[in-house]
Amino acid sequence: MTAALIAALVTGAALFGVGLYGALSQTNLVMIMMGVELILAGALVNLAAFWRFLHPGAYAGQMFVLIVMTVMALEMAVGFGVATARFRAKGSVEMEEAGELKG
Amino acid sequence: MHAQTFFIAFFGLAAVWFGVAVFRTSSMVRSALALLFSQTAIGAMFLAMQTEFLGVLQIMMMATEMSIMAIFMVMYMMDPGGLGAMEMTHQKRFSIAAGAIGGGAALAVAVLTPWGPVVAQAPAAAQQTRALGLELLGRSMLVFETAGVTILTAMIAATAVAVRRREGKAAR
Repeated sequence: MTAALIAALVTGAALFGVGLYGALSQTNLVMIMMGVELILAGALVNLAAFWRFLHPGAYAGQMFVLIVMTVMALEMAVGFGVATARFRAKGSVEMEEAGELKG
Repeated sequence: MHAQTFFIAFFGLAAVWFGVAVFRTSSMVRSALALLFSQTAIGAMFLAMQTEFLGVLQIMMMATEMSIMAIFMVMYMMDPGGLGAMEMTHQKRFSIAAGAIGGGAALAVAVLTPWGPVVAQAPAAAQQTRALGLELLGRSMLVFETAGVTILTAMIAATAVAVRRREGKAAR
């Protein structure tokens, strides 16, 4: 059974790594959001595995999964709002062209 | 038991494979579809882990979310079909190093930590759903309600940011 837990955690770690690469390497806002989605997906997998294999009696674990899913939806909603505003203002959502946003 | 491990590993591999495919294709539609398949594989992993409610929820939510994402990508990308083979990456070496270090560190924690005894049997699906409902409307109600209010706030904020400004207001 430990193998199942490890398999899930390894998947979570790999998704985190791939998502981190994507979020840092992409120049397009929508692609950056895809990277963040993968990072959060890694967290989801870990949380579900911890609940199932370590504490199946503690339903706060499943609650935590629901909260991460909510965060994913929020990130999408706000991200697309920003993308729409940016596209209206500059005609592009390329982050290479958003140097003026630097503080 | 072995079947469960096999299916978790299989769907996990599929999730990572499609996750990598998101950043390997030039076509935005293919990227969105790869992310949809990755998230669906995660939903299937949840089902293999006997967390039926979360698995079905994940698949349903992500199918909708990724369809919307595909529409936005086609709208906002300069080359949505990827026919022009545009370069859409920067700081590649740094990103690969950060991804490898981050993923490697998480992997090390996963493999090296003594997780203690693992529970063999999960509660039945109906019992899980009932207990989660009681958790949502009991001990975790404040968290649940806060999540709802946060979603509402994000919807209003996203609409306010995205809506076209009138010329008079923009000039002020």
